[in-house]
Amino acid sequence: MPWRRLALSFLLLALPVLALAGAVQFAQSLLLERIAITLCINLVLVVGLQVFMGNAGILSFAHIGFMGVGAYAAAVLSIPAQMKGMALPDLYPLLEGVAVAPMVAILAGVAVAALVAALVSYPLMRLSDAAAVITSFALLVVLHTLMLHWSAVTNGPRTLFGLPKATTLGLAAGAALAVIAVALLFKESRTGLLLRASRDDEIAAGAIGVRIPALRWRAFVLSAAIAALGGGLWGHFITSFSPKAFYLKETFVVLGMLVIGGASTVSGAVLGTFLVTLAFEGLRAVEGALNRAQLFAGQVVGLTEVALACAMILFLILRPGGLLPTAEIGALRRTRPESDR
Amino acid sequence: MADATLEASRIAVEFAGLRALDGVSLTLRQGEILGLIGPNGSGKTTLVNVLTGQVRPSSGSVHCAGEPITGLAPPAIARRGIARSFQIVRLFTNLTVRENLEAAAVAQGAGRREAAVRADLLLEEFGLAGYRDERAGALSYGDERRVEIARALAAGPRFLLLDEPAAGLNEAESDALLALLAALPAERGLGLLIIDHDMRLIMRLCHRLHVLASGRTIAEGDVVSVRRAPQVIEAYLGTAHA
Repeated sequence: MPWRRLALSFLLLALPVLALAGAVQFAQSLLLERIAITLCINLVLVVGLQVFMGNAGILSFAHIGFMGVGAYAAAVLSIPAQMKGMALPDLYPLLEGVAVAPMVAILAGVAVAALVAALVSYPLMRLSDAAAVITSFALLVVLHTLMLHWSAVTNGPRTLFGLPKATTLGLAAGAALAVIAVALLFKESRTGLLLRASRDDEIAAGAIGVRIPALRWRAFVLSAAIAALGGGLWGHFITSFSPKAFYLKETFVVLGMLVIGGASTVSGAVLGTFLVTLAFEGLRAVEGALNRAQLFAGQVVGLTEVALACAMILFLILRPGGLLPTAEIGALRRTRPESDR
Repeated sequence: MADATLEASRIAVEFAGLRALDGVSLTLRQGEILGLIGPNGSGKTTLVNVLTGQVRPSSGSVHCAGEPITGLAPPAIARRGIARSFQIVRLFTNLTVRENLEAAAVAQGAGRREAAVRADLLLEEFGLAGYRDERAGALSYGDERRVEIARALAAGPRFLLLDEPAAGLNEAESDALLALLAALPAERGLGLLIIDHDMRLIMRLCHRLHVLASGRTIAEGDVVSVRRAPQVIEAYLGTAHA
């Protein structure tokens, strides 16, 4: 196994995260800190999606649903007892007195999401291609519907509030680095190698003895657990949210980041997250400036979504593999001339 | 172990009413090279597909070393030591050449380090070491063929089934392949079954032949006697010569 290339890839991917965190510490700007934390949480979500999509080669829409499971499960456990009466009026009496440290709650949320994913996805992993994509979309709708209507633990469609603000930049950056390391290792693990083989040719993979559904299942559960980590961190950063935070808009943003960067590589996921997050912040500033200047009769809204959609379309046409389609960043130099042919 | 066999008995396969195979029995022993020949559409690939689980037979049974494997899924059959190549090469095109071989070893339970060692040995043996880190999808056709055979061997099979390994190769490449394949049964103790239309290769390589025509066995036995059998000449050249 190319350990040195793997380590180099990790270092090169960790560098911008650390640089950003360092810059924020230095600048002492609340706006910058907010952007940096958002970026780190996006890294967790996008790299988490790469774990399944990049290795199994199957587009999954359900990812953000598991982000929601993680966020709600953590919230139920971490909202202080005296807040629970207001925040979750219908909560089961058993859970009313429970209030654990946010870190513990986030990890519990990860466990809950992993369990849900393990149970729900087992039969789905036999599907490939369009059928797999459509069922993953159906799964997102089911999870969303549950969040909307299971008032006891989600407060229904209303905003859930009262989460302690616990996600610091250090925590978010640490989580992002850990997830990048896990994704790189998983890709090079035995399961990762066989999944990537099955992505290229299912029949040939079957003929060498690869039990594809079981391996996909492992990747899906790991991916869902990472999404839930992102959800728990985000919940304890934003401190109040409603089910619509975990639906199509967020799904689209995370997919856009992965597609633009390159779903097959962890480096692509990281690069796409950086580019799109920073472009979003830039566009938001432009939007704000346009609205303040009142150049147009109405308010300018949705500039970010329009730009992301256009960027995705352009990438899918011109560079379908994304910016980093095959090699991790630490292995880019090895493209040799064809001389030894 | 040396006497283990891969045995198909009275295999029939029907596709939408069409009989692709009709009561074919075939035995492949470890240590031998068996040629499976016959005109186009005679059912050779279908028979290999039955042996490796890609096609489920309508009737008949398959045994590997005495154990029934009829109707098992391809991964389960592969894990019992049966490897194959495909008529149209199927590589993992986005993996490197080395990863293609490593995947086959890992799928049989090897750890990553052991798989890497096995892969490197085979790449050396097959003269592919120079392409180790190339993307498999970037290889020339002849190299693809060799990588596919090397990948099958990386699984450490007891039986290896090759579907037209020499198709599309030029004479020099074909001769090199022949030398490589001829040595396999003795070196690795595996049973080798080869489908090919290149009679020169088949006659020089095989210990025994099994001839199919229209889904039925029309001859089997040693190379010389099968070659002279009137029904074989008829199947290949038409009735006027019989």
